[in-house]
Amino acid sequence: MDGVAVKAEKLTKFYGRTRGVVDLDLEVRRGEVFGYLGPNGAGKTTTIRLLLDLIRPTRGRAEVLGLDSRRDGVAIRGRIGYLPGELALYDRMTGGELLRYLANLRGGADWGYVESLAERLQCDLSARIKSLSKGNKQKIGLIQAFIHHPELLVLDEPTSGLDPLMQHEFHRLVREMTEEGTTFFISSHNLPEVERISDRVGIVREGTLVAVDDVDSLKRKALRRLEIHFASPVPREAFAGIAGVRDLAVDGVTLRCTVAGSVDALIKAAARFEVLNVVSPEVSLEEIFIDYYHGEGRAP
Amino acid sequence: MVRAVLRNVFLKSLREQRAALAWWAVGVIALCLMTVAFYPSMRDSRGMAEYFEEAPEWIKTVMGDPSEFTTPTGYLNGELFFMMVPILFLIFAISRGSGAIAGEEQAGTLDLLLSNPLSRRRVLLEKAASMLAALLGLGLALWVGLALGAAAVGMDISLLRLADACFSGVLLGAVFGSLALALGCASGRRGLTIGVTAALGVGTFFLKSLAPLIESLEVWGKLSPFYYYDAAQPLKNGLSWAHAAVLAGAAAFFVALSVFLFDRRDIAV
Repeated sequence: MDGVAVKAEKLTKFYGRTRGVVDLDLEVRRGEVFGYLGPNGAGKTTTIRLLLDLIRPTRGRAEVLGLDSRRDGVAIRGRIGYLPGELALYDRMTGGELLRYLANLRGGADWGYVESLAERLQCDLSARIKSLSKGNKQKIGLIQAFIHHPELLVLDEPTSGLDPLMQHEFHRLVREMTEEGTTFFISSHNLPEVERISDRVGIVREGTLVAVDDVDSLKRKALRRLEIHFASPVPREAFAGIAGVRDLAVDGVTLRCTVAGSVDALIKAAARFEVLNVVSPEVSLEEIFIDYYHGEGRAP
Repeated sequence: MVRAVLRNVFLKSLREQRAALAWWAVGVIALCLMTVAFYPSMRDSRGMAEYFEEAPEWIKTVMGDPSEFTTPTGYLNGELFFMMVPILFLIFAISRGSGAIAGEEQAGTLDLLLSNPLSRRRVLLEKAASMLAALLGLGLALWVGLALGAAAVGMDISLLRLADACFSGVLLGAVFGSLALALGCASGRRGLTIGVTAALGVGTFFLKSLAPLIESLEVWGKLSPFYYYDAAQPLKNGLSWAHAAVLAGAAAFFVALSVFLFDRRDIAV
C-alpha cells in the first residue's frame, strides 16, 4: 500500500457547459490532514462528489485508497466517511434512528462509540431531526461520517453551523484521529480554520487547483489586513518600506494596511508610538487568492 | 423493533410508507364496504337494469354488457374495477415510484444514502421492492375490504376471483410505479415525473377504452397496460397468466431501465 490516500489525475468535470473542475491533479498523503481551500463555487464540492462517485468525471480519473473511483466505488465507500456539504438528513427520523440505519448499511457499528461521539459533541440523539438546529444536524452529519472508524474522512465544510466551542471539539477529534493514522480531506472556505487543523493545503480557484502548500508556507504568504489606532498622529514615513506591508494608508491617528506574511516588523515599528488598538478585519478568501498568485513576486 | 426495521434500504423505505399505507388501507377498505353495501339495492332494483339497457351503444362497448351490472362481478367491475381501482393504484404507485429516487434526490438525502458501501443498483432494487411490497399491501387491503363487504351483504362472489382482480390492480400499479421510478431516475425531478406518468396513465386509459369504438385504434389498444389489466376480466374468469405476464414484464423492464439510467447519471445536489 503506497502512501497516497487520494489521487486525482487531470480530473475534469463540466455540468453541461458549466465548469466544475478542470484538469485537477491532486495528491493527498495517508495520515495527513489536507485542507481543501477555496471560495464558494470554486469546485470543492465537485471534487469531493467525484471522489464519492456521486457524479462522474468528464475526463480524467481519481483514485481513493488505491482504488479507482468509478470501478471500485462500493469498496471505497466502505472505507471512507463522508460529510456532504449540503447536508440533508431524513427529517422524520430521530438522530439515533438515522445513525442506526446508516450503521446497519455499513454492517453494524460500535454503538458505544456513537454515544461517546454524541456526548462529546453534545448532540441529542433522541430528538427528531426536523426539530434540530442547523448546528445540531451538522453534528449528526459528523457522527455518521465517523461511525465506522474509516481510514479516510472526506468532509465538506465540516464546521459549517457549529458554534465555536463545538468547532474546537471537532478540531480535537480530528487531531485524535490523525494520531491513530486517519487521513482527512477537509474542504473549507475559512482560512483560519484550515490553518489551524491542516498539514497541507490545496487552494482551488475557479475550478483549478492553483497551489498546494504546507500550512506554514501558506501562513507566510497569507494576507492580513491590519488597522492600528494610535494615541496621537503618526508620520507615514515611519512605516514606509517595511517588508510585506502594502496598501499603506496613514490618516492621522489611524494606520491601515495589508501585510503579507509576518507582521513582526510592522508591529515593532508601531511599538515606537502609543498604540490604542490593533484591529484585523477578516480578509476575504478571494483577496488572499488574488494575492497568492498575482502577488508571488511582491511577497517577501 | 425500530432497530430491525432500520436494517436495510428495503425495510427502511417500507417503514417510511407505513403511515401512508395505513391511511390508504383504511380508505380503500371503507370505499369497498360502502360500495358493496349498495349492492343489494342495486341487485333488487329492476329500474337500474332498464336504465342501463337504454344506455347508448358506446357505453356498453366501453363498460361491458349492461345486463351484467346487477351481477356481483358486473357490479364490482362497473363500480370499482373499471376506473376507481386503477385510479387508486396509479396514484399510490406513482407517488411511491416518483418518491423513491427523484423524491430523495430533491430532498438532498440521496448523497448521504449513496455514500454508503452500496451500489446504486442495490439501492434502486431495494427501493423498487419496497414499492412493490407497499402495492401488495394496498392490494391486500382492497381484497380484505371486498371480502368483508361481500360477507356482510351476502354477495355471491369467489374470494379467489376477487384476489385475481385485486392482483391485476397491483400489477397495473407496478407498471406505472416502475415507469415513474424510471422517469425519476432519468430526470431526478419528482414533479415532472408525476406529471408525465399521470398523463401517460390517463392517455393509455382512454386508448384502451376508446380502442374498441374506433376501428383505427383497435390494434393500438393492446399497447395500453389497462388492456392487460382487465380485458381478460379477471373478476369473472380469473387471472389471465398471459396478461399478467405482460404487466409483470413491463414492470420488470422499467425497473431494469431504472437501474440502467440511475447508474449512469450524476446525482444532483
